[in-house]
Amino acid sequence: MHKKIDIASLVDAAEGRVTPLIYTDPDIYQLEMEKIFGRCWLFLAHESQIPKAGDFFNTYMGEDPIIVVRQKDGTVKAFLNQCRHRSMRVSSADSGNTRAFTCPYHGWSYGVDGQLVDVPLESRAYPQGLCKEKWGLQEVPCVAEYKGLIFGNWDVTAPSLQEYMGDMAWYLDGVLDRRAGGTQIVGGVHKWVIECNWKFPAEQFASDQYHALFTHASAVQVLGVKPGSEDKALGEGQTARPVWETAKDAVQYGQDGHGSGFFFTEKPDANVWVDGEVSAYFRETYPEAEARLGKIRALRLAGHNNLFPTLSWLNGTATLRVWHPRGPNQVEVWAFCIADKDASDEVKNAFERSATRAFGPAGFLEQDDSENWTEVQKVLRGQRAKNTKLCLEMGLNQERLREDGIPGITNYIFSETAARGMYRRWADLLISETWDEVQQRTEQFQQEVLK
Amino acid sequence: MSIVSDQSSSVISLSMYHDVSQFLYREAELLDDWKFRDWLELLSEDISYTMRTTVNAQTRDRRRDIAPPTTWIFNDSKFQLERRVARLETGMAWAEEPPSRTRHIISNLHVLPTDKDDEIDVRLNYILYRSQKERDVTFYVGMRQDRLRKTEAAQGWQICHREITLDQAVLTSHNLSVFF
Repeated sequence: MHKKIDIASLVDAAEGRVTPLIYTDPDIYQLEMEKIFGRCWLFLAHESQIPKAGDFFNTYMGEDPIIVVRQKDGTVKAFLNQCRHRSMRVSSADSGNTRAFTCPYHGWSYGVDGQLVDVPLESRAYPQGLCKEKWGLQEVPCVAEYKGLIFGNWDVTAPSLQEYMGDMAWYLDGVLDRRAGGTQIVGGVHKWVIECNWKFPAEQFASDQYHALFTHASAVQVLGVKPGSEDKALGEGQTARPVWETAKDAVQYGQDGHGSGFFFTEKPDANVWVDGEVSAYFRETYPEAEARLGKIRALRLAGHNNLFPTLSWLNGTATLRVWHPRGPNQVEVWAFCIADKDASDEVKNAFERSATRAFGPAGFLEQDDSENWTEVQKVLRGQRAKNTKLCLEMGLNQERLREDGIPGITNYIFSETAARGMYRRWADLLISETWDEVQQRTEQFQQEVLK
Repeated sequence: MSIVSDQSSSVISLSMYHDVSQFLYREAELLDDWKFRDWLELLSEDISYTMRTTVNAQTRDRRRDIAPPTTWIFNDSKFQLERRVARLETGMAWAEEPPSRTRHIISNLHVLPTDKDDEIDVRLNYILYRSQKERDVTFYVGMRQDRLRKTEAAQGWQICHREITLDQAVLTSHNLSVFF
């Protein structure tokens, strides 16, 4: 790197300050690719997307193209989508089924296990011999599954996926484990580009319920049912008012870079923009969910989440997404609709309708999120702007551990505990050489937070 | 001009073509002029207004009728389109505040009769230009399959089906807050 950046000075989690250079600087971005996307667990695919041997799904880890493919023995492998000869992409469909990945450039062909099996004109072109065993597709060394979600990690020294997730798994189970059959992806993937740094959406899903009241005021106003206008309901069974108007209390969790927030409701009500059919489904299946998850998580049908760095989801609305970084100033969103496998096809269709109505590029709510982030990124072109510290003080020093079974460092939902934790984890990763060092720094910070 | 003379085949008349194209140009004008309530009047109560995602599929898989799954981008009824208009009217629909300037360019109109006397199909290509805020510019390019129904009302037709295809697999626009 041609200049030395003092990462630690850009993030002051203890005082609640962040310098927005972290969203714009190309050198910091390069460091993120190496130190974060090169060694954190990244979401690759849901197992339901590749059920049969030879089924593949093309995705990314950071900016690296990755093929996720089901093996003959039922396991899943992930490979860099790069021919070892001249770096050409060997698989170009979004997904599909295949027996081989053949490079369109010179025809090198790889098995679904990544082995190089065929090289055109091999004996004439390589009379000295070519050791094909050495030239297989580069395999992602760590692939692990958690209740249907497949993750990859380039760093063999990283903590296990379970350890990496920590208490966040408890929150994630609220979506993945409501019913015996687990979950599946319904339909295809929304893919679109937003001209903003990846940390804006990641932070919002980790830590920001606060924006919803104002950013999404228009959507809530037109999709929420008011007394006297029941004809404007999204089907029978729709929850009438947004959860933040009806809830008794609420919580935010922020630890190890991850974050989550939700309200406590008395009834299993999904949010106001969700189809009546989906809301009714949650009420009907509540006893099963309560038996599996307990009351707190079974009742949790709204709220935000981010698993560091870039996997976000919303309970109840059934949207799960990855924020693929595309340079400091751009992100590519891949959004999936996730629903219980045991739900009927009609309910799954209603889930897909709901997720699409509210979220995705044309969603009543999400349109306005992307507008905020692109405008923020434009402002940060300014020299003064990108060096002007931002206020990250919400709920500062109010963090506590709870005694009601909700795990980890928590605060009231309208706080920035998860954002402070996320940026601190981010800095810890960028400045630490080893995972031990990362964990020590994070642990030290978290102890201070709870003092 | 065999198009005009051949009344017995499925080819529609020049006057019908003229009629349909004038109606669709008028519709585009209403959208470009932000007259969204007037635009809603052109939609039948049973309209289905849809767009699904576009995917990259291997030819080998396409031949086997296997393609990557798609999902809705729009899946709107008249009620839901009216809610989108209502959202714009709140003054807090930040994606359209201030509103985008749009130009709906339509071409390659292919008008076909249907098995119903009062309905016709129109397939067309579109370029939807969107200029937003200070200097944001987006071009949405694709194809539309419309079904129009004859009506007694002054405008002559109502749109009862609109299936929109947007050619991008990864949309390079940060949101779709305009009507197609």
